[in-house]
Amino acid sequence: MTEHAAKSSVRTLRVPENYRGLVACAILFGVMAILTRDVAAAGNLRSIGSSVVPLFLLALGQMTVMISGGIDLSVTGTMALVSVAGAVVMRETGSAFAGVTAMLTAGAGVGMLNGGAVAWLRLPPFMVTLTSQMFLSGMAVWAVQSKNIGGLPAGFMGLGKEVPIAAGAAVVCGIVGHLLLRRSVWGRQLFAAGFNAETARFSGLPVPWVRIRSYVASGLLAAVAAVILTARLETGSPVLGQRMLLDVIGAAVLGGVSLRGGRGHVLWVLGGALFFAILDNALNLLGLSHFRIMMVKGGVILAAAALDAWRIKAR
Amino acid sequence: MKRLLDHASLLLLALAVLVFGLMEPRFWSWNNLTNLLTQSSSAMVAATGMTFVLLTAGVDLSLGAIMFLCAAVAGKLALAGHPVGLCVAAMLVCGAMCGAVNASAIVWLRVLPFVVTLATLYLGRGLALSVTETRAMNLPEAFLTFGRPACAIAIAAAVVIAAEVTLRVTVYGRHLYALGAGRRIAEYAGLPARRLTFSVYVVCGACAGLAALLTLGQLGAVSPKFGENREFTAIAAAVLGGTSLFGGRGGVFPGAVLGALLMQSIESGLVMVNADPYLYPMIMAAAIFAAVLLDARRRATQDGHYRE
Repeated sequence: MTEHAAKSSVRTLRVPENYRGLVACAILFGVMAILTRDVAAAGNLRSIGSSVVPLFLLALGQMTVMISGGIDLSVTGTMALVSVAGAVVMRETGSAFAGVTAMLTAGAGVGMLNGGAVAWLRLPPFMVTLTSQMFLSGMAVWAVQSKNIGGLPAGFMGLGKEVPIAAGAAVVCGIVGHLLLRRSVWGRQLFAAGFNAETARFSGLPVPWVRIRSYVASGLLAAVAAVILTARLETGSPVLGQRMLLDVIGAAVLGGVSLRGGRGHVLWVLGGALFFAILDNALNLLGLSHFRIMMVKGGVILAAAALDAWRIKAR
Repeated sequence: MKRLLDHASLLLLALAVLVFGLMEPRFWSWNNLTNLLTQSSSAMVAATGMTFVLLTAGVDLSLGAIMFLCAAVAGKLALAGHPVGLCVAAMLVCGAMCGAVNASAIVWLRVLPFVVTLATLYLGRGLALSVTETRAMNLPEAFLTFGRPACAIAIAAAVVIAAEVTLRVTVYGRHLYALGAGRRIAEYAGLPARRLTFSVYVVCGACAGLAALLTLGQLGAVSPKFGENREFTAIAAAVLGGTSLFGGRGGVFPGAVLGALLMQSIESGLVMVNADPYLYPMIMAAAIFAAVLLDARRRATQDGHYRE
């Protein structure tokens, strides 16, 4: 009885699970603001805000795949190819609409291929997406012979100039993603397939399709992130987002999305993405070289993954 | 069909040698064939280490990073005037230690192998870059001895033979197969599953150190890109040679040896026929994908039933 009471009083002090990531961000931000004042400067806050948007979109896609029990390591390759493809289409047609359509189609197509290889050919997701990462980024570089493509239509570049547009896109994707995951059949099937594929199959769920849809979602969200980054850079770049993979995986895993499938929430990913955006920004401000930052992020991911494994064991 | 899948690496190797030879007659020269064997020695050793890990249904994505770190440490020691013997020993120890770090996280923290090694890939490369201060290092002439055909081939052969004997003849080797084929059953049978899992990553790390030595012997320098993507070559070589990504199946000879030769012939062949350098990553990715696909087909025909 007393033990029970003690337990429940501890529980009331706890931060609700969905907000833990955001609280961790606040703590990190506080610590970093003490280490260097520049972190809290108005200009810097804007820069954190603009870097968190594409990261959040990518991590959202990553989460969808992870819930289904897979992983998508090809997101940066997808972004590079999408950016180049969109830029070429816009250079030829001069139409922003055609360009964005082409980019989204390319992203969904890449997701379809990844998903097909995983679900139909039954290949291990991490190997499939590692090879497609290598292939897609190679293809992006080859297609434009390692050159950037400029001269994009003004209407398209406006998408990157205006922070509210990018932020709005992220908010819309976040809300739609949340509703799809929590309130739709699509989302329930996704969680069911990731939590226990065997049971899901016996219950009559089209498990291969559920998996493929998650990879398509990841490809689409990578394309949206590519649209925002390409518009911001004002060029189609074959190395777009090259260094973002670690942040994307980190944001999802740190947020608490389980690498073994079946667990995830939009707010967790938002927390994870914000955490990595603040970490990256603050470490840069502290003057750490890029390889030191790489080491820190690698360590953070390892710690987050260990936490995930520990959580599963404790359950 | 089953026969065909079993000998796929040999057939693909024959095909690659034939095609490149027809496109560029120099490919068939005695000189080039010796070169091919020498250059693939590093990949053979790396693939041998990777085979141990794959047999237990794990994977080591940090192999290339470990190679870089070992090379960076050896380079620093050599430039500080230490004898070559000490540098070589340091490389092996450094490799084994990196493997032990991977193994600890996998065995004690119970994190999935590909996540651990993906994280240590970045940790390792970052550490190596800070050791080398992101500059290239030219090493003393003495290191080039390890790149001579006779020496490189002898080292690779010794590693391959030792590994093959360990896997086929010793109790330890049989335990690895049992562990990979079914972890739970192996545990029930009383095998020291944790210790076995730990050991394969240490073996793989040490092999990475040796592979770095053989690569150093050929290049004579450590660049910031040293060892990049070597883990893919090693995985592809091992898997093409018949080792399964799902554990419990495969071997070093002739599998990994032929696989390494195949990957190296594709790489050297592309250079010899003057292919567009931008195409290399795409062709290598296609080769690795083919290896993974082959593995899945092989598994489907052998098991005969669907396993999730």
